[in-house]
Amino acid sequence: MRAFRYIRHMVMGALCGLFITGGIAHAQKVIRIGAPLELTGKFVIYGSQGQRGLEMAVEAFAGTVAGHRIEVLLRDIQSTNQGAVSAMTDLLEKEKVDFLIGPIASGLVSAAVPAWRQRKPLWIVPGASALSFEEAIAGESMVFHTYAWGYGYHTGPANALAAAFGKGKKVAIIYSDGAYGRSHLPDARKHYTEAGFQIVATELVRENAADMNPALQKIRLTKPDVLVALMQTTDGIVVAKQIHVAKLGIPILVGSAFPQFQTWVDAVGEAANGWITAVAYLAGQAVPADPKYPRIFPAAKDWEAAFTKKYNREPELIDAMVYTSAAMLFLAIDRAGGGDKERVAKELRNLGVETIMGEGKFVPTPGGAVNQAFNEMFVIQRQGDKIVTVWPKARSNGQFKPIQ
Amino acid sequence: MTLLPQFLLDALLLGGLYCLMAVGLALCFGVTRIINFAHGEMIMFGAYGAFLLSVHFGIDPLLSLPLVALGVALIGFLVFKLCVQRVLDAPHVNQILLLFGVGLILQNIAVLIFTGDERSVTTAYSLASDQFFGMMVAYGRLIAFAVSIGLTVGLIVWLRISEMGRAIQAVAQQRDAAKLMGINVTAMYMVSFMVSAALGSATGAAMSFLLTITPFMGFHILIKGFAIVVLGGLGSVGGTLIAAFVLAFVETGVSYYVPEGGGWAEGVALAVLLMVLILRPRGFLGQAVDN
Amino acid sequence: MPFAATAVVNDWIISAASMVILAVSWNLAANAGLISLGHSAFWGVGTYTAVLSANKLGLPLVLALIPAMLIGALLGVLLAVITGRLRGIFFAISTLALSEGLRVIAVMTPGFTGGGEGIYVNPQLRIGAHWVAAIMVVGALISILVAWAISRTSWHFAFRAMRANESAAQMLGVRPIGFRVWVLALAGAMAAFAGGVRVWYGGFVDPGIAFDLHITIFAQIGPLLGGIYTLAGPVIGALLSVLLSEAARIWFGTQGFGLLVYGVALVLCILFLPHGIWGGLQRLWTFGRRRIRGEQ
Repeated sequence: MRAFRYIRHMVMGALCGLFITGGIAHAQKVIRIGAPLELTGKFVIYGSQGQRGLEMAVEAFAGTVAGHRIEVLLRDIQSTNQGAVSAMTDLLEKEKVDFLIGPIASGLVSAAVPAWRQRKPLWIVPGASALSFEEAIAGESMVFHTYAWGYGYHTGPANALAAAFGKGKKVAIIYSDGAYGRSHLPDARKHYTEAGFQIVATELVRENAADMNPALQKIRLTKPDVLVALMQTTDGIVVAKQIHVAKLGIPILVGSAFPQFQTWVDAVGEAANGWITAVAYLAGQAVPADPKYPRIFPAAKDWEAAFTKKYNREPELIDAMVYTSAAMLFLAIDRAGGGDKERVAKELRNLGVETIMGEGKFVPTPGGAVNQAFNEMFVIQRQGDKIVTVWPKARSNGQFKPIQ
Repeated sequence: MTLLPQFLLDALLLGGLYCLMAVGLALCFGVTRIINFAHGEMIMFGAYGAFLLSVHFGIDPLLSLPLVALGVALIGFLVFKLCVQRVLDAPHVNQILLLFGVGLILQNIAVLIFTGDERSVTTAYSLASDQFFGMMVAYGRLIAFAVSIGLTVGLIVWLRISEMGRAIQAVAQQRDAAKLMGINVTAMYMVSFMVSAALGSATGAAMSFLLTITPFMGFHILIKGFAIVVLGGLGSVGGTLIAAFVLAFVETGVSYYVPEGGGWAEGVALAVLLMVLILRPRGFLGQAVDN
Repeated sequence: MPFAATAVVNDWIISAASMVILAVSWNLAANAGLISLGHSAFWGVGTYTAVLSANKLGLPLVLALIPAMLIGALLGVLLAVITGRLRGIFFAISTLALSEGLRVIAVMTPGFTGGGEGIYVNPQLRIGAHWVAAIMVVGALISILVAWAISRTSWHFAFRAMRANESAAQMLGVRPIGFRVWVLALAGAMAAFAGGVRVWYGGFVDPGIAFDLHITIFAQIGPLLGGIYTLAGPVIGALLSVLLSEAARIWFGTQGFGLLVYGVALVLCILFLPHGIWGGLQRLWTFGRRRIRGEQ
């Protein structure tokens, strides 16, 4: 009987390991877009938004461009670097795709750069705001970055605050020890100093720390007028609650990206009041449709209604960003008449459309990125239940309100 | 204004939180000798339970805590019956990997059910605070502290006084002798595994209004809890209590008084752990454990 | 399309060979009763040493691996010395603390390690993936050879004695501390080698990748699936674990089930193959022989 048991165990074990190999053959004319995304793992929130945006974009083109069927090759990178490298290698070397969208999280995009370099397909990067990534792809004409660089989160608020409250105010910075906080710190320091602020404290907190009060109490001693928090949403929730509870008496709170997300507001409740941030996209703005391609780049409210109908939730930044980036890519393929990546790249560079994210046009940046779109950000403040746009003056509908 | 009173208060409150993080793990290890690598996921499910009940039915996490604990105890029951029971006598490595796998499964089920969105419960008290004697007292943290200490003391009393608690202790101390005394060892294992899961979910519920809830929150908490359990002496609930406060005071102290201390705090805590392990492997109050 | 497949196959070879090295390294330590929960410490130290020495001194991979292995071995020696008599679960937890502590140091010294932002391997020093794969395979073969050579010497018996009871082994004339130093130095060098080569493939490292506790888990999966304390087991198990995780990622990843399926497969394997594949086969074999000879 024991022998039988072992055999049974062996068979069960073998079954666990048994997966059938095979691929799918493609015969008709197709355009293949590789999409290495964070479909599982800790950055799944980005990947799932990316997936939705892509789906919407394919739908907007009814699945075809220039007589070719669009085929999106989704690959799960499991939010790990190894996953990103494997997926990139698979897409580039086996599937031989000429077009890539994703990944989105900064660290994973950085990890994907060396793999991308092997064949240099046309790569749309709707994420990664880290300056180290901008340096890594400086001069690369096949990389199209469609997300604002990190400094966009600081130049806007710094200038807007300086204009509203005058120079010489004191700024304290609290940042996380992860890639996000570290990469933002030098930019924040530089741009607030340049705008005429005095940096009085920079305090570091651990990612996922259970208590950030020590850093806040040290900041309190320096009596700043402005507190800038550089961290991702997970830590942004804890820090916002603790700032509120600690009653620091700092009238102006600025967050890197998290104050724009509805999930963050839901999580911190009334502690969200007064937070300021720079945004590239926000649902509910009055943005008109593109005059030439109104079906692909509809007015913001129409697109948002369609999105909400399909997914039963409001679109967030990455939904909109990936949709817009993918739609621009598809349009460029259409205008190039097919999938020649050099011609598509040329068309993309010549494109100028009005999108829900603002003007869709690629320009070089001083930092060395060759193709950059959507680097323009506007500054908002949460005032009670309302979101007030405070900068730039041309599109503002209200003024800063310091926290009492 | 000096930072000293605030430091003492913060460390104390954090200590309570750490205590609850670790006490479930300590019970599970003390009795079954199993390091529950899926304990973080029990905490995570507890946090989501409290969150969902709060959002959909408006039930305060403190009120829903017993319900959540019961639900997660059931998950613990399933995990024990389906998996853990089969590896009770297997080497530690098998148990660790098995429970790591279970944790991975639970984590990904959570992603499918709850999505990866960051959550946190907002209650009136979680955002309230008042100043006393130069200290800002955060009511949310104070309440979580009270819940932690209450549950930990409750556990110690239950283990000391109730028949089942004493049977569990007997199993923890000498399983063969306990068996000879007519105690159903496997049943005691199951009960402690379920109680441990319930304590984990209580941790999650008590933190649901302080920290961020995601499907991946468990792993960091697990590692921290693990360090505390070892520092206190594997399996000793009382030792865990002491270790939680020692670690909280060390970490908070470093955060307050060392430049960039917030980043070094965890490293210093690990150094303390390593030192204690080398000088006194059984931890503060632990029994010697072989293999 | 043989050439087209190469890169993906390279990817698998590098994954599989690095897992084999990790598994052999972990099993070597486990053989001597040293259950490690911190193999990511060796891996991470190897990764950083290789990258930093290459970037700062302009060393090619093969030369950068020498300091990587030396530092890995040194860390092993250090671990052996400071943990002294610690055994079992206490030893395991010291290794875990060591790995986490190293991660904190890597995060907190951005001027040296690049900190949370990470660093790239100097692109000029990178080599083709097939070279990386070849070096990794050679490393895997050498580590298997080392494990085999050890199993042929008297060390083998000393290990077994230490595993069973270190104090008794000492009475028999085995000096446990000496063996510990050697075993951990070897295991450390192996894991550091794997980490150092792997980073040449990915080209990028940050503290989260280098000291990822999942590396520790992966190091154990191989020996456990294949058969712990055996020679062939870790190799078989490491290959199977790569197959499982890749299959799960490829077939279920796009629906978001990849890690879930992997977790289920892992749990089933441990439940139904408690001695691993090779261990199970060995038991089946001895059982069958006894049956034939009519023994109980």
